[in-house]
Amino acid sequence: MKFLKNRAVLITIVLFFVSLQLFSLNIREKRSQNFISGIVLTLTYYPQKLVYIVSDKVLNTWQDYMDLVDVRQENIRLKKEVSSLRQDKFELAEQRVQNYRLKKLLDFKESPSYPIVSANVIGGSPSLLRTEVVIVDRGTRDGVSQGMPVASSEGIVGRVLTVGDKSSEVLLITDPVSAVDAFIHRTRVRGIVKGTGSGCTMEYIEQNSDVSIGDKVISSGKEGFFPKGVIIGTVSNLETKGSFISAQVSPFVDLDSLEEVVIILKTNNNIVLNE
Amino acid sequence: MNKYLSIIFLVLLSVIFITIQTTLLSPGNLGYFSPDLNLILIVFLAIFSEIRGGFFLALGNGYLMDVLSGNLPGTFMISRLSTYLLVRSGSNHVYLRKALVQGLVIFVATIFTWIFVLTIITIKKDSSFDITAKSILIQGIVNAVVGIPIFWMIQKVNARFQK
Repeated sequence: MKFLKNRAVLITIVLFFVSLQLFSLNIREKRSQNFISGIVLTLTYYPQKLVYIVSDKVLNTWQDYMDLVDVRQENIRLKKEVSSLRQDKFELAEQRVQNYRLKKLLDFKESPSYPIVSANVIGGSPSLLRTEVVIVDRGTRDGVSQGMPVASSEGIVGRVLTVGDKSSEVLLITDPVSAVDAFIHRTRVRGIVKGTGSGCTMEYIEQNSDVSIGDKVISSGKEGFFPKGVIIGTVSNLETKGSFISAQVSPFVDLDSLEEVVIILKTNNNIVLNE
Repeated sequence: MNKYLSIIFLVLLSVIFITIQTTLLSPGNLGYFSPDLNLILIVFLAIFSEIRGGFFLALGNGYLMDVLSGNLPGTFMISRLSTYLLVRSGSNHVYLRKALVQGLVIFVATIFTWIFVLTIITIKKDSSFDITAKSILIQGIVNAVVGIPIFWMIQKVNARFQK
């Protein structure tokens, strides 16, 4: 230890070059690190879950109290909403029957449905360097494995990055290394949705394509990773970059206040392009 | 016996700090106002801890950061180990009993760690990280402010084990 202490500057320089090598080496070798990473995730699962339970209880108690304040007005509003939803339900049932009949007529193949597992977000990234990572309370015990898509009731959230026994790390779609093959719902124009840190952009859209602000963006399922037709977000801005159009996409899911997600237990045989 | 108790205490503290940093004080919630408790603990180990395992504790703490932030193993592990070694070697030459000096050391350590990481990122031309000089400076100040009372508290408890 005395040796290290006396030559700290020299060792720091050596460590810098080691780090430089590791940085490029690990990109290829990351999968081999998963065993130790899994142990770390399991080790931190219990304290994280404890903090989650306590903070959730405190927040719920406060929320219950706040809800009581406006409960009468809320009740009136909800009764109106129920009545409106009953009407919608009836119309939807009609449309479902019609849809089934038409699909049968066109000999349409049903898109495969995958089993899902719900999870709570119990933590986030501890570093400023990469904040688009959350930790969820489901792991290998629940059938989760690396690369599985994660969504919420509002759309795509991200994909599983590292798996522990009882918890997993999820890389959000807003992370700059995230990429999803997608298309514009209205016109079926294809592109790649990439994370930008604060949001997403849909890139590689051909110049003369029909895209406009407000269009919905959905996953194409072509990269064999996310299921087809899961909503990603809405086009909020358009920009021309060389021979392509770049569309700014506002994710449907509020990724800053994520509480519950579902992990789609879909194993992919394909490796994602950016890994 | 006391030496082992001290190690157990510091290992437990590492787990508690990383838990707080990933839940209540996560940068995802607080942005650059989120204190880096993990780094504060490493600076503490470098300055005050007399146990031999400080080197490995610093290494382990860096690894915890790498895994839980989804970064490649080595990004934080090595940068924090370097910070530990530099602060440890420099601690002989500076009077570190004053809170202001301790705060300054934490601030400089924060800046050094980020420069270390960002230099590697810049050399490797990895554009997937978005961190500004402003956010680094703010985190340095936040770390210094939060670190001083934390140092005082850990010192109080750790002194009992090291007696």
